[in-house]
Amino acid sequence: MKGAIGRAWNVLALVLISLSPALAADPSARVELDISKAGPRAVEPQTQQAIRRDYRVAWSSLAQALESNSADPLEGPFVGTAKQWLGDTVASQSRVGMTSHYAGQTHKVQAVFYAPEGDLIELHDVAEFQLQISDGGKVIHEQHVVVNYVVLMTPAADRWVVRELQAVPQF
Amino acid sequence: MRKLRLIAIAAFSLASLLLPCSAQKLVTPVSAIAGEDITISTTGTGKATFYLSGPGVANKRDVTLGDEIHLAGTDLKIAGAYVVILCADSCHGSTFYVKGSKPTSLALLVHPSRVPVAQSDAVSGVAIPFDRFRNMVLEPVQVNFQLTAANSAPVSHQIRSQNGIAWFRTASEKKAGKLQITATLDSVSSARVLQQVASDPCNLRIKGQRTAKGIELETEPVKDCSGNPVPDGTIVTFNLSGENGKTTVDAPIKQGIARARIQAQGPQSVTVASGVVMGNELRIGGQP
Repeated sequence: MKGAIGRAWNVLALVLISLSPALAADPSARVELDISKAGPRAVEPQTQQAIRRDYRVAWSSLAQALESNSADPLEGPFVGTAKQWLGDTVASQSRVGMTSHYAGQTHKVQAVFYAPEGDLIELHDVAEFQLQISDGGKVIHEQHVVVNYVVLMTPAADRWVVRELQAVPQF
Repeated sequence: MRKLRLIAIAAFSLASLLLPCSAQKLVTPVSAIAGEDITISTTGTGKATFYLSGPGVANKRDVTLGDEIHLAGTDLKIAGAYVVILCADSCHGSTFYVKGSKPTSLALLVHPSRVPVAQSDAVSGVAIPFDRFRNMVLEPVQVNFQLTAANSAPVSHQIRSQNGIAWFRTASEKKAGKLQITATLDSVSSARVLQQVASDPCNLRIKGQRTAKGIELETEPVKDCSGNPVPDGTIVTFNLSGENGKTTVDAPIKQGIARARIQAQGPQSVTVASGVVMGNELRIGGQP
């Protein structure tokens, strides 16, 4: 009986560890998008879904790029300034042997501006994740981070793309 | 004596645990401006490795603890969160923010490129100020949108940016022609031009007569409700209804007038339409 209880605790412990955001290996991000304050144009439900989907893909791609030091995942989800600086970060990290690992991402996103013609949306994202910076495979910094991002997204041929991604101390 | 030795060992162990934590520290600025140099203070003694990780940059270098670390503005061009890490026996990190500097350019989006005249809320403009490194300027700034059309006084809208964006929406003018929209912020400006075109036809009227070759129909000069000529190529539809049935003919406007010649026997009732606009009705007899 005692052995059975012990095994059950071990299984529960393993499940909890696997669910821990800090240790999760899954690079995908969780995104909640609130459109109630968007204006002057109202965000249609389908547009909301598309933006939420594409913003989540963008963050998963960002995490992949900065962990693998490859700019390939940035192709598609990012354009303009955001793509430029992310590409520069990947190149710099690669040059000095550093990597960044983003785990357990959650994004509470609020749309604060949707252009009258629907060609630009501004988002405020309160992003939360476990950031791990390594040098040559050795972890030199690990921190649970809460960062505010100002984001500009524009529609492309088949998706919404991130054009600006700027961290700010507060909105 | 033995007690003293134990106390000394315990004190040394405690000190060795605490010292690496207190030996090296980083003092970062509360915030910095994009492109401007900053200095980070360190405490402690000995050698360490300093890391900088931020938007667009990742680098490392050897430093001496206790010295100041100078970060060049070229490494701090992108606004955002930067992490600095100092590693000796152990690593200690700190985060600081870089803000955008003064606005040096304005991105201006204007819609639509062609707009019918006299439509409410038909023209809109969105301006986003950027600094010289293409960071968004998030502090509120006053943007002046000036709308200039030929033969009319310019109209201005003073808009204070919110969350880095200034925007306006307004009605199109009554007169067709070019409309220039200029957004200005201090000495920075950006301009776009859109075309205001005639709206739907208004008071569409036709006249017609029977000739030996059939019925000849033509409109009066087709204009919108503001008096602007409707563009050539706009389709006008003539509908004839007589004893032998109905006939429909589409004719494009040429030099302001749409014309049609139709073979039709007997008396005819003729109506005209363009888009959703109906014109007058005409009755034409069976003999020329």
